[in-house]
Amino acid sequence: MSAPPPRVTHGPGEPYVGTSVPRVEDQRLLDGRGRFLADLAAGALSVVFLRSTEAHAVIESIDTTRATDMPGVVGVYTGNDLPLARDYIGSLHTPDPGFVAATGFRMPEQRLAILPVDRVHYVGQPVVALVASDRYLGEDALEAVDITYRPLPAVLDPSASLAPDAAPIHPHLPDNEAGRIEVEFGDDVAADAVAVTVEGTYRIGRHGAVPLEGRGVLARVDGQRVSVWTSTQIPHLVRQGICEATGWSVDAVRVVVPDVGGGFGTKANVYAEEVVVPVLARLTGHDLVWVEDRQEHLVGSAQGRDQVHRTRLSVDREGRVLRWEDDFLLDIGAGGLWVAGVVANTAIHLLGPYRIPRVRLRGRAAFTNKTITAQYRGAGRPEACFALERSLDDAAGRLGITPVEIRRRNLLTAADLPYAQPLPYRDGVPIVYDGGDYLRCLDSVLELLPAETVERLAAEHPDLTIGHGVGCYIEATGRGSFESGRVRLTSTGGFEVASGAASAGQAHETVFAQVAADGLGCSLELVTVRRSDTDLVRHGVGTFASRSAVLAGSAIRRAAEQLLDQATGRAAQLLGVSPDLVKSTASGFAAADGSSEWEISWADLATACAPGGAQEQLGPLDVVEYFHPETVTWTMGAHAAVVGVHRGTGAVSVLSYAVAHEGGVEINPQVVEGQVIGGVAQGIGGALLEQFRYSPTGQPTSTTLAEYLLPGTCDVPDVQVRHLGVATPCNPLGVRGAGESGTIAVSATVAGAVEDALHGLVRVSETPIRTGPLRAAAEQIRREGQ
Amino acid sequence: MIPASFDYVAPQSLTDALAALAEHGDDAKVLAGGQSLLPILRMRLNAPSVVIDLGKVTELQGISDEGDHLVIGAMTTYAAVLASEAVSTHAALLSKAVATVADPQIRHRGTVGGALVHADPAGDVGAPVLALDAELVIAGQGGATRTVPAADFFEDLFTTAVGEDELLTQIRIPKHTGWGAHYEKFVRVSHQWSIVAVAATVRAEGGSIAEARVGLTNMGSTPLRATAVEQALVGQSATEEAVRQACARAADGTNPPSDLNGDADYRRHLASVLTRRAVLAAAGA
Ligand SMILES: Cc1cc2nc3c(=O)[nH]c(=O)nc-3n(C[C@H](O)[C@H](O)[C@H](O)COP(=O)(O)OP(=O)(O)OC[C@H]3O[C@@H](n4cnc5c(N)ncnc54)[C@H](O)[C@@H]3O)c2cc1C
Repeated sequence: MSAPPPRVTHGPGEPYVGTSVPRVEDQRLLDGRGRFLADLAAGALSVVFLRSTEAHAVIESIDTTRATDMPGVVGVYTGNDLPLARDYIGSLHTPDPGFVAATGFRMPEQRLAILPVDRVHYVGQPVVALVASDRYLGEDALEAVDITYRPLPAVLDPSASLAPDAAPIHPHLPDNEAGRIEVEFGDDVAADAVAVTVEGTYRIGRHGAVPLEGRGVLARVDGQRVSVWTSTQIPHLVRQGICEATGWSVDAVRVVVPDVGGGFGTKANVYAEEVVVPVLARLTGHDLVWVEDRQEHLVGSAQGRDQVHRTRLSVDREGRVLRWEDDFLLDIGAGGLWVAGVVANTAIHLLGPYRIPRVRLRGRAAFTNKTITAQYRGAGRPEACFALERSLDDAAGRLGITPVEIRRRNLLTAADLPYAQPLPYRDGVPIVYDGGDYLRCLDSVLELLPAETVERLAAEHPDLTIGHGVGCYIEATGRGSFESGRVRLTSTGGFEVASGAASAGQAHETVFAQVAADGLGCSLELVTVRRSDTDLVRHGVGTFASRSAVLAGSAIRRAAEQLLDQATGRAAQLLGVSPDLVKSTASGFAAADGSSEWEISWADLATACAPGGAQEQLGPLDVVEYFHPETVTWTMGAHAAVVGVHRGTGAVSVLSYAVAHEGGVEINPQVVEGQVIGGVAQGIGGALLEQFRYSPTGQPTSTTLAEYLLPGTCDVPDVQVRHLGVATPCNPLGVRGAGESGTIAVSATVAGAVEDALHGLVRVSETPIRTGPLRAAAEQIRREGQ
Repeated sequence: MIPASFDYVAPQSLTDALAALAEHGDDAKVLAGGQSLLPILRMRLNAPSVVIDLGKVTELQGISDEGDHLVIGAMTTYAAVLASEAVSTHAALLSKAVATVADPQIRHRGTVGGALVHADPAGDVGAPVLALDAELVIAGQGGATRTVPAADFFEDLFTTAVGEDELLTQIRIPKHTGWGAHYEKFVRVSHQWSIVAVAATVRAEGGSIAEARVGLTNMGSTPLRATAVEQALVGQSATEEAVRQACARAADGTNPPSDLNGDADYRRHLASVLTRRAVLAAAGA
């Protein structure tokens, strides 16, 4: 067990950024005083959804008469009964035209119906919404809704879906291609330079976030307005989705985010339920609530991954990469509003943290009859990382050098960085890795978890054959276009901070307060961070893609500085001195001119700008700032794992894990460490356990947590984390995103360690790793006496 | 995940509980700890019109020592079994198996009787009860009781000798004082159902195995006894090699299921690996 890293504590007068002040939300969340969506439900009627039982079918009829007569039923609604301006939710991301031109990116318009009336596309798709006095009666009545389906062949394999003769799943489209991209650069490689070419097929299984708290929506009509509480990461995009579907103005809709028990991307989506519940609230005049249950979650909430990569990697005699080619396929299920993001992320992150002179990538996304997808933590990056890192391990094996060595020879170093790629990022700006020294991360992770650890652990675990693996990743973080930050002086002289970047448990209440307190020069206790609410900040984008600290943090920082600036001027005016004599103090302002001293507190300022105060006409001290980054900033890291494969059963245990990452300034090191550790836990789930599986007819078979296996605390080892901070000039805080750092390289790293444990007798090219079949190799190693 | 509506009755005595069963017949379902029944009701896999809660029938709770037997009331929770020194002394195998069931919350609600009547082949109490040659006491209408040996109790998947209008009241376990015991459970994540598990208890005499009892979990539609292994172990020294030989055929005669966690072949393989480990641990080797 590793000693906990030293905590940077906060001293008087020092900045809060960079210190591990305790998370202010923990007390509330841990002692049960969190207010989650379901905690707000009292008094509301229940909405329940009847979901498709077919993977692909024509709806021949829906008969709601019996259900309408059931006790407690207020109404039963099909898609035909909803007054919608548009019956689908639009794409959540469109890449910049410059990126489209450079990569041939294309995607068709998706129109998955909010409540379909003619055709269903996956098991779990909501078809009928029913309003009842409570959920008990609602579920009873659902059983009385009669739907007749005429089944169509379910398309479950993305290659089959893209075959030229495949029937389109979505009738408005000519085929099943949901997106495509092509990236090519560099000169052809002379054949005699190539020492080894490895080819592979890598499959990353379908898994997802499965947060502790599922989704949920509460809607309340108040005169002309509808207020919607939803367990989301992206309140403003939900508002936009509701408005586009209903035709309501953005001023008529308020979206509020209560405490959220985990999101990880599955809640960075706009869902049919988020439109239907407010529409029905308006239609019925009742407060309405829907709380997703776990069974609904496992079929109805957006999933992720599900990619196949066909790769070809050529290296020279020294193991230097000469050429990298990948033809990849994404299965986005029946739809994915982030398909552009995931396709582009996959392609861009296939470039890795390495010098690669010649690249040819082609990616296609396919519609199938599986559950919809969104951006699950990493969103294309873990998949890209798996393909590239596994190929590097393969090439190293053929050359007879170690996995560490091949990376050492290819990683970008201080001499290479910043490093330009001949490609624009999704925002159209040419890609430049703004890092410090990527090789240092590899060295550092090996210090934390050296290959020699294998011998010690082998002695401790005679039943296991032990191996060591490494994996490196790169991550574009802090994507625009913008994020909002608001800082406001309260009537009692404190500050309220709000942002469009909603928290799903990531400690926004703490880290944004740290940022604001530094910008204001005030003490942390004066700052309260409000939960996201579109009435508090009119514009925003949301929390995903490792962006909140970078963008919302920067916006809050600037808003705080501006507020301080304005306040200084006002203080000077009130004190009757020149502004340059005024200094801010922890509790307000002070001025001195040699003979006299004056002081004014924040509370005095608040009184002055309130009605009746001396500065009433100046209005409240209240600043909203939008931060638009020029482009993304890059985080890089290296993972190392030691795993044991059980000789008798093939079971894989991750015994030890380490991450060294080059992030930027850490606002709160302990929070970053928590993000990395949690990310590793989710990565281990994806590498070894989690998979959404389907029967040949498209019936999901991972429909309870007995089939969809999540790692528990006993299944995740201690994770050592080392942060190698390199501030970035891209934003005023110098921060880089860290939310996905822990997840991205786990599958690649664990796979490498498993292969090492089995002395290369087995090639791991698929996640989750099927462990039973490993036992034969483990047994062979035992018989041969290692 | 909300059950269909049902009436709820909570009789205070075994007699009243049996009467309620007689009255409602097929429409009724008995509730013990609810850890299997409630998920079933919530997923609407079953929709009884009456639920008869045994929670207030105190005569079905508790563990008593009856000389050469331990008697465990059907409504005794896992947690109570784990806390019982009598069980760990005289039926250590049951303690060991119960310790692997789910997590503390579930062990504080779930009952041994509920688990046995539920008869999930992946459940962890069937195999030890079978291996310990326990007897199950079943109360029927009109004051009738009958005692069924564990070998005849488990009939099929989720099916036992307990009839529609009957209740399981007691588990009678012959004392295995001084026997070593181990329950070896194979799971992919902690706190999960057994993919395969092996319950082994042995009486050692001077470094060799005098008697052995081995039960298998999830190697067929009911818990199974590995009698061939038991016989092969008698007289063996408790060494890795001797035990390995004796356990190689642990899966003989079994018909394990194939599912997402492993196919039948893998389960057969696991059975021999886990049996060896369980026996060696039980023998203190
Ligand atoms: C998350 C989770 C994990 C679990 N993991 C495990 C595990 O690792 N290993 C394991 O073995 N089990 C596991 N279980 C199942 C648990 O052990 C069950 O609760 C137990 O098997 C049933 O006992 P109960 O008292 O809760 O019975 P109930 O659920 O109340 O009843 C089960 C069935 O038995 C009937 N019944 C109950 N008592 C009587 C009686 N006296 N006479 C006649 N019929 C009766 C009921 O009508 C019902 O059909 C798990 C359960 C959960 C929810």
